[in-house]
Amino acid sequence: MSTRGSSILNQLLLLHTGRTRLWTALAVLAAGTFLLLLSVLAWSDFDLLIKGGEGSGTESYIVIGKQITERNMGTASTNAFSASEISEVRHAPQVLDAGEITPALFPVYAEVGGQLPLQTELPLASVPDRFLDAVPPDWNWQPGNPNLPVVLAARFLDIYNYVFAPGQGLPQLSRGSVQAIGMRMKVGSDPSVQVFSAHISGFSDRVGSVLVPQSFITYGNSRFAASAGPVRVMQLILRVADPSDPQFVTWLQQHGYTTEPQGLQWSRMRAIVQSVAAATGGLAVLLMVAGALIFMLFIELSVTRSRSSLVLLHQLGYSRRYLVRYMMRRFLPRVAGSLLLALAGTVFVQVVVSSRLAAAQLHLPALPGAVVWAAFVLCSVLVSAAVYRAIVRSVAAAEA
Amino acid sequence: MRGLVPAHLVQQLAGRPSQVWNTEVTLPSGACVFVQAPSGRGKTTLIHMLYGLRTGYTGSISFGDTKMEQLSDDQLSALRAKELSVIFQDMRLFPSLTAFENIEVKRALTNSVTAEEVQAWLAQLGIADKAQSMAATLSYGEQQRVAIIRALVQPFAWLLMDEPFSHLDAANRQLAIDLIKSVAQRRNAGLFLTDLDANNYFPYTHTFLM
Repeated sequence: MSTRGSSILNQLLLLHTGRTRLWTALAVLAAGTFLLLLSVLAWSDFDLLIKGGEGSGTESYIVIGKQITERNMGTASTNAFSASEISEVRHAPQVLDAGEITPALFPVYAEVGGQLPLQTELPLASVPDRFLDAVPPDWNWQPGNPNLPVVLAARFLDIYNYVFAPGQGLPQLSRGSVQAIGMRMKVGSDPSVQVFSAHISGFSDRVGSVLVPQSFITYGNSRFAASAGPVRVMQLILRVADPSDPQFVTWLQQHGYTTEPQGLQWSRMRAIVQSVAAATGGLAVLLMVAGALIFMLFIELSVTRSRSSLVLLHQLGYSRRYLVRYMMRRFLPRVAGSLLLALAGTVFVQVVVSSRLAAAQLHLPALPGAVVWAAFVLCSVLVSAAVYRAIVRSVAAAEA
Repeated sequence: MRGLVPAHLVQQLAGRPSQVWNTEVTLPSGACVFVQAPSGRGKTTLIHMLYGLRTGYTGSISFGDTKMEQLSDDQLSALRAKELSVIFQDMRLFPSLTAFENIEVKRALTNSVTAEEVQAWLAQLGIADKAQSMAATLSYGEQQRVAIIRALVQPFAWLLMDEPFSHLDAANRQLAIDLIKSVAQRRNAGLFLTDLDANNYFPYTHTFLM
């Protein structure tokens, strides 16, 4: 068709409708799509942030134990993990690995000499080496070896430096200087006592105990245990893919297991953001549907107004298919413009948010993630299909 | 045409002899056909049925091997664009377009006639000065001439004409007849005209009374 012919068709079919109506319909469509993409963006960005918030990928280590209540206090046997419970934990949602924290069943008395006249009992325990923050190079012990490496919970040093030392007039110590201090460790009780030369070879942020190699705990429990009997596992250390997963948190609650609340704080935030995103998303879907409906009504109104022209064009030899295609060619670029405007707005928001968050050491990609693009493609397909259907129906109805 | 009876004329046509309704009529391509009938006998209905605008009838209409009743919308539109042209009794122009644009809408479908030819035909029928006038402002006679030219700017094997000269004086009628004859001859097309009274506008090969 010539340009002149096309402009005549344009005059017949599209000039009857007001420009204000057209722009209003397109603006509502753009606003709805923008909000929808924005809620998807908020959801995906937060997802990225909580995954990046753990430092090294999504994985995290947490220690769990059974909740001690008035009812079960004093019954250590029921508060310990059975073999079947440990097996169940390994298959819990998000759990990648589980290790037993084996406590020492014997008394341990440590003395630090020199300028630090410290004497204290120590709660020794061991975990499988793979659960240590970093395995120290000298992390091994064999029976007969008088030297014992120790990994100290980092918070113990914090308590010493910030609470104990200032009160007792003792010097505060760096991690390096603590590792240089030797300890005399008296293990067992009279008459079976053995003395070891211990030193701190590392620190752990994961476990809140004093850790020694597993071989030492096994040896000590068989040699110095106050009472014979199986070792009760009171705590487990878990490697968790995503501790903020609500499924995992629910699982912990259902089984009455406790853990440090910090490990799960993201879960609460995630739940809040997810509900906000869902609510916004719901509103956005409503607005987008309203936008699409207004636009379809606009199309139907346009077609109704040019009904007589459509009928005569059809009588003159213009097929319905041609007329539908012609109207699609006229409307689709405008619809696409609206949707692209919404996309541009979303990309702009992501650019601004990512640059602002970078200042707070929170790293987001400069462009929206795949899920936002997928949502955009889905919106575009759905809106185009709806517009096509409205045009086909209107053209068919014009002849009826 | 075979056994045609339009649904809304069943009562009216019952018991009345007709050479068109409820009978079989076969026309060779390139024929020149005249159907004569007084008002109310269904001349316009027949033209609309032949053009595929009206579907409420019994019987069937075929173009060669093609049955009108079995055509899809695309096929019917292609037929109207390339095989079958029509001059409506009520002209059916777009009132919001100029005379030239009304013709252009049809011409743009196939581009089988140049814009210069259209200008020449407008001049031939004495309405060149009305080319840029809105159709709504034209007299019936002028509108009828625009409708005639519009029907000629496409390829056609048959030209259907429903009282095509009803608003023209004898001189203008003759100009229109001459134009139609020359274009139809060039296209080897058949002519199918309905009118109230007997006439010799064209050299009819077939004449029917409704």
